[in-house]
Amino acid sequence: MAPTKDDDSLAGDLNEEARIEELSDEDGIPFPGRHLTKSYLPIPPWLVPSSLDLFPEDHQTATSEAYTKVQAECLPHLLGEDTQDLPLNKYRIPHLRRAQHAAFLHASLGDLPSAYIALDAARPWVFYWGFSGLTVLGESVMQYRSRLINTVRPMQNPLGGFGGGHGQTSHCAASYACVLALAMVDALEHVNRRTIWHWLGKLKQANGGFRMAENAEEDVRGAYCAFIMITVLNLPLELPPSSPARRAGLQRFDDKLGDYISTLQTWEGGIGASPPCSEAHGAYAFLALGTLAMIDAPHIIIPKYLDLPALLRWMALQQTSPEGGFAGRTNKLVDACYSQWIGGTWSLLQAALGPNAPEVQGKDLWNKAALVRYLLTCSQQPGKKGGMRDKPSTRPDGYHTTYALAGMSAAMNQYTYDAEGPVRDERGRLMAGFNWKAEGVEKKVLAGMGVEESGRVGYVHPVYVMPFDVVEGFREKFPSCGFEVEGAKSE
Amino acid sequence: MGKYSSSASWSDITPLPLDEGGPNPLAAIAYTDEYCEAMSYLRAIMAATEHSERVLDLTEDIIDMNAAHYTVWLYRAATLFTLESDLKAELEWVNDMAQTHQKNYQIWNHRNMVVDRLGSAEGEASFVEVMLGLDAKNYHVWSYRQWLVKRFGLWEEGEMEFVERMLERDVRNNSAWNHRWFIVNGREAEGVKGITDQKVRDREVDFAEKALERAPQNPSPWNYLRGIMRAAGLPLGTLKETVVKYADLSKPDAVRSSHALDLLADVLAEEESSKEEAVLALDLLAEKYDPVRKNYWEYRKGLLGEVAAA
Repeated sequence: MAPTKDDDSLAGDLNEEARIEELSDEDGIPFPGRHLTKSYLPIPPWLVPSSLDLFPEDHQTATSEAYTKVQAECLPHLLGEDTQDLPLNKYRIPHLRRAQHAAFLHASLGDLPSAYIALDAARPWVFYWGFSGLTVLGESVMQYRSRLINTVRPMQNPLGGFGGGHGQTSHCAASYACVLALAMVDALEHVNRRTIWHWLGKLKQANGGFRMAENAEEDVRGAYCAFIMITVLNLPLELPPSSPARRAGLQRFDDKLGDYISTLQTWEGGIGASPPCSEAHGAYAFLALGTLAMIDAPHIIIPKYLDLPALLRWMALQQTSPEGGFAGRTNKLVDACYSQWIGGTWSLLQAALGPNAPEVQGKDLWNKAALVRYLLTCSQQPGKKGGMRDKPSTRPDGYHTTYALAGMSAAMNQYTYDAEGPVRDERGRLMAGFNWKAEGVEKKVLAGMGVEESGRVGYVHPVYVMPFDVVEGFREKFPSCGFEVEGAKSE
Repeated sequence: MGKYSSSASWSDITPLPLDEGGPNPLAAIAYTDEYCEAMSYLRAIMAATEHSERVLDLTEDIIDMNAAHYTVWLYRAATLFTLESDLKAELEWVNDMAQTHQKNYQIWNHRNMVVDRLGSAEGEASFVEVMLGLDAKNYHVWSYRQWLVKRFGLWEEGEMEFVERMLERDVRNNSAWNHRWFIVNGREAEGVKGITDQKVRDREVDFAEKALERAPQNPSPWNYLRGIMRAAGLPLGTLKETVVKYADLSKPDAVRSSHALDLLADVLAEEESSKEEAVLALDLLAEKYDPVRKNYWEYRKGLLGEVAAA
């Protein structure tokens, strides 16, 4: 395959096949996967020998030993010394194995062996991961529509919300995943909006936060899931009369929520799960910022409740070197799922700096090329199976596949907030989450990541973590709070 | 015949079979007969809101097969409290479960509810320490430990010594640093001053500086020092003497920590007269000491205004 026109700056006129022959002859290394030690792209600065092991330390601990081990398992892949027999593109970077990953996700939606009993309470996640990952790969999921509608019907409880399965207690995570999966096949009419609103009212806490289920733990996952449901289904912002939070003087779902999120920012600058002082963690940073970004414009609400410079610094430090992916916490290891939780959050962070911040005009604060290289070289499962994994020494699963792909989408595309967009409609609906625009990075930028045009992945909405057309679909689905709210006004 | 359908003590229950919504469910799990049967009895029990001794047996059975089943845990807790069961016995059972299912949210929420109800934290701190011996950074375990300290006022019951043991074992354990911050500063609302008190602050700065001597590239103590200055409302320049030990612009080839260089850049940016030097520090990070974050360091240079552009 000859290089196409778009990449002339990098690939020159060399014919790819000839080049492979030439290298094989030169190196004379007989076993597969070891002969492609040269790349058309120069080795990026964070992977050159002088950047490795810059600060050797005598004092070794469990943390530093684990870190050294992961670096050793990733470096041969990152440098192309061990390609694991993944097919390479003209930049000597593995292709995204679209067909294999799609097959892996389709299989996850089929019949599952009994070991999956451990996921019996989390089955809606499997629907969401499968659908979400497939759409990033450009696949349609509409063929699952009627099966999904049937499967989730017994999971919806008469008193509101969805459980992980038939007869299971309603839970924020299960409800979130069911609602988003239904949205992706345009079937939100199967959600009982009135009862889910009543149920969410029971989860709102006096401190502004939300529990994951009645009597279950309270953390920022609850707030994010609740606001996803409120804005996707256009539920009234008023708390239902039965909400216990009303006894504490709260009247709306967003009451005290910003202050609650403020308390989650720690001494490190990152964001923890719950008060009083959970450790800063990438997933909770996404959930906190995503929640705020549903309530108001990011440049208004994020700096209002969070110390943005401290948060930016913490987020930037989570990108690991030399791997290029993200770790979830300080002094933890790279893991592909944080490609979304931290990689995907950069759009929100950059929007938080404001529409006119000169420092970020047309620039990124993070290293997209490093993330893409990690995902393509280290996170893809080699062999027939497909799927993406945390790191080379782990096995692929739906969770990592979906969030690796979502993070890849954040790297290959630009998501920008339209500051001109309305944050409320005339009925008071929260609209800030609907003001995002998507655009692929320029060809040159993509080539600089070592990715061919055919390696692009779809858009993933930075707040809803779903395709943009699905978000547009539910924005229009319930233009008004479609049921009358009896007695919801405070007395 | 299954275990429950053949048992006389369950004969009054008509099990509620699993409804999968139709013949061709998505992500259909091949449930074992044992699991399927136990769940069908649980659905029936829950539909009747029965809280009895046999519910404890049934929930234990299901948890053995699927410890991530939040519904079963929540229903078990409700049953324990309704029956006023022996909560100490419950904790012993949960101890075994916790060790085999370390990454499980439900166990820790359950433990939290049981211990709260019991009103005693006896033995809890040492149990938590055993769990952290298995996984020193387990998020749920550390969150639970915080709750224990706050709920039972254990601030001065050996908590600082515990943190120091954990950091002695691994000075890079950021979860332990986070707990230290909590122990030092968690009572501000109750009027007990943390690092806003000069003596406490000096002690904490000293502790972090000693940790840096052992491992200068460890981000945790650097972040800790920054956190102290931010919370105390002090300029980062307060740390200048410490910083230049690890990153000195007059010896650009001998930088011992990228985090020191990062802090040095912020220290220099505080004074108009040294902003040009801050640019040098950020350039060193972008080009030599931390190239993966080049974009971020460039952004920081942009914040310095005119100087950076010069």
